[in-house]
Amino acid sequence: MKPCNREMGLNYYQIKKNVLRARKLVIKATNSAGSGHPGGSFSMAEILGCLFYKHLQYDPKNPTWDDRDRLILSKGHAAPGLFSNMAVAGYFPESELETLRKFGSKLQGHPDLKCPGVEFCGGSLGTGLSYSVGVALAAKIDGKNHHIYTIMGDGETDEGQVWEAAMTAAKYKVDNITAFLDRNFIQQDSYTEKIMPLDEKLEGDDISEMWKDASRWKTGDKWRSFGWNVIEIDGHRIEQINSAITKANSTKGIPSIIIARTIKGKGVEHMEDNPQWHGKAPDSDVSPIINLELDSQFMIAPSIIAGDMTNLENEVKRCVSGRADYIHLDVMDGQFVPTKTFDHRKIQELRSLTVIPFDSHLMINEPVKHVRDYVEAGSDIITVHVEVCDESSFGEIHDLLKQSQVGVGLAINPDTDLPEWSYKFIPTLDQLIVMSVVPGKSGQKYIEETHGKMIRLNTVLNEHNFSGCIEADGGVTLDNIDSCFVDGARSFVGGSAIIGKQDVRSAIRDFRNQVLKTKRKILLDKANELGGSTLVKKWIGLHVVGEKQEQIKKIAEEAGYL
Amino acid sequence: MNPPIMTDMRSEYSKTLIELGRENPNIVVLGADTTDSLKTSGFGKIFPNRFFNVGIAEANLVSLSAGLAASGKISFASTYAIFLPGRAVDQIRNGIAYPSPGNKKGLNVKLVVSHGGLSVGPDGGSHQQIEDIAIMRVIPNFRVFIPADTFAVSKLTRLMANEYGPFYMRMARSNTPVVHSESQDFQIGKGITIRDGSDCTIAACGITVRMALEAAESLQQEGISCRVLDMFSVKPIDAELLEKAARETGGIVTCEEHNILGGMGSAVAESVSERYPVPIKRIGAQDMFGESARDNEISLLLEKHGITSFNMAKQVKEIRSRKL
Repeated sequence: MKPCNREMGLNYYQIKKNVLRARKLVIKATNSAGSGHPGGSFSMAEILGCLFYKHLQYDPKNPTWDDRDRLILSKGHAAPGLFSNMAVAGYFPESELETLRKFGSKLQGHPDLKCPGVEFCGGSLGTGLSYSVGVALAAKIDGKNHHIYTIMGDGETDEGQVWEAAMTAAKYKVDNITAFLDRNFIQQDSYTEKIMPLDEKLEGDDISEMWKDASRWKTGDKWRSFGWNVIEIDGHRIEQINSAITKANSTKGIPSIIIARTIKGKGVEHMEDNPQWHGKAPDSDVSPIINLELDSQFMIAPSIIAGDMTNLENEVKRCVSGRADYIHLDVMDGQFVPTKTFDHRKIQELRSLTVIPFDSHLMINEPVKHVRDYVEAGSDIITVHVEVCDESSFGEIHDLLKQSQVGVGLAINPDTDLPEWSYKFIPTLDQLIVMSVVPGKSGQKYIEETHGKMIRLNTVLNEHNFSGCIEADGGVTLDNIDSCFVDGARSFVGGSAIIGKQDVRSAIRDFRNQVLKTKRKILLDKANELGGSTLVKKWIGLHVVGEKQEQIKKIAEEAGYL
Repeated sequence: MNPPIMTDMRSEYSKTLIELGRENPNIVVLGADTTDSLKTSGFGKIFPNRFFNVGIAEANLVSLSAGLAASGKISFASTYAIFLPGRAVDQIRNGIAYPSPGNKKGLNVKLVVSHGGLSVGPDGGSHQQIEDIAIMRVIPNFRVFIPADTFAVSKLTRLMANEYGPFYMRMARSNTPVVHSESQDFQIGKGITIRDGSDCTIAACGITVRMALEAAESLQQEGISCRVLDMFSVKPIDAELLEKAARETGGIVTCEEHNILGGMGSAVAESVSERYPVPIKRIGAQDMFGESARDNEISLLLEKHGITSFNMAKQVKEIRSRKL
């Protein structure tokens, strides 16, 4: 009956893919409208992604279905974000987003019941939580089990009514509400900590300072003192959002709020942390560059076998505190590869330490016999090698993983190409690992021929509508990561180059900065291609926060675009 | 005229809510720390799961009622007039009137207030809501009732429960004189000709209906036949009844305990001037605030603003001299 619900939710990569699709639709819609609020749509993008594609129960063909969960967007100005996800979820065609804010459209400037599936007319801030409490109380009266999700902006909580509602929710023990606070630190005029501090007053202009020091975060205390169960997370990390929702929904007797620290405009550098992009639409000439930028998001995944094999627990902790995107787990059986590392039992032990995604790379014989163990151990993505699969066994693996909401990966060794049997799986593949060393041990050098192989591979992938993520694995270092990125890789496994370093966090930061530089260059190439130096200058000029502008300008100068 | 029988609107409202609560499990009642005063706490004792007291938080009261209504409940939200339109107009407009699910108009919320107008008395001008009719009748999808007595309260409460959509109903604080009979029918948008007459018309609502009847009685002594209309449905207003009165009696005096700007008198004037213009005189607060008056002094307060049967009779005579 419904494509997306708690039983049929999507896996990590699929959620990410839909979030990306929705972000692009926000750009398209606000550009077409000539106004709108991309900043706040992007700060809550991952939250909506986790709701729409994993937790929320709904039926887009029957939007008034009685038992649906209710999603109440109290921060109504982020309507483009809501509508984009509704389109992706199937409520209406994506093309309809081009009618946003236009005369005769059901996609009003703020969410409106005119659009079937919208639960709340937002726009007047500070009223959504009260409304949600009403909806929640009605569900209790009727003995219904559906859940109410309410998304508030941080600036919105300046409104006193929010706290009236907070008290009411606690008084009536409405545990069927899970509220989100999209804590992006920016409201219309400026940073929240300058206009009306929710944490501590911000000294200076660098909002990123507020991220660094948890002792300055007071917002959670406010909600706790109002009788709420408070869960604080990084609101752009899908695994943290998912885990927080699960915890919140299982907390009985009191209402729950997830305080999600987010970045306004997340995903587009010049919009990020920039109050100017609260309510402004991107121009047509820069929209294609923004789309390319969104497509260029990348992830860093340390491989813990490069560390201390006798204390993998500690290696996992280093990755988490080092802000890795996920952890790459090299499972070797001593048969498919000569070395032996660990198996699913170890993964199960490590799983209890963290919610960070586990990317289990099975370098084992007959993976079809073992893959279920790795699902049950708590893997988020499981990759098996083409060398030990055939169409039938991989088909079995593929279906099991999809059903289990686990990402499906295929890996190929340096001397292997994608076999023809695998082509039919390409469209639904979440990840392709292209090995750039002979698997078996850590610390090898990157095989240069991989670059040539990537060119051939990309042709095959394009022909078969690949929409997953290419992961570069083997000998990836600061010296070659940029060329891997240019080849099309969007996630990078770092072995000794990350885990081998004393300071994992700075090693990951160095990796990110290196890729970022390449990414910025590619975007400048695009600007130059589309509009010459005029557009290059305009693009650079958009980057007004921090030191971005100087850095990008330097890249443009080196490329001869200025 | 016989001395009036005085009855309490709030008790009648409470009694009717309880009856409705028994008949319909979707009726919910909300209050904001005035539930003993409004007497809605009686509903709460019988139906504790369908009764919510949100404390002194009117904005919250309104939005919460909207949320319940959006989920199929029929919300009756009540407090003093001064704290609903006077305080939570944004929540009323954007939260109740504006959201229109499917082909419906607005959400199914009934805002029922007491302590409307100047007759609030001792609490003073800060608590005498003389702007609510004006505020509520300009909000699309809202319908506005000003009942004159407890029969009207009971029947209109029932009517609102059975009719989908947003309503505002304003009751008086003090006991009010009975002017209708139990068999009186009340319909949305239909005024009531409570006394016929051919020389002039007085259009009244709420506590001024009885005064209008007294004015008509005294005019009768002077040989003037005065029609009296109970315009309890301020919105929609009964344009046909008003046009008929204009045609047949040639002039209309209105009287209400509300600012003359934007109130029932304005609604009458707007309607009549478009359909059949005749001289009109509006009695009410002349764009000024009220003040404290003990219960036995309320008549003095009303008199200060010209809200008396004597003044109505005087204005009727004045208007007759201006007839077109």
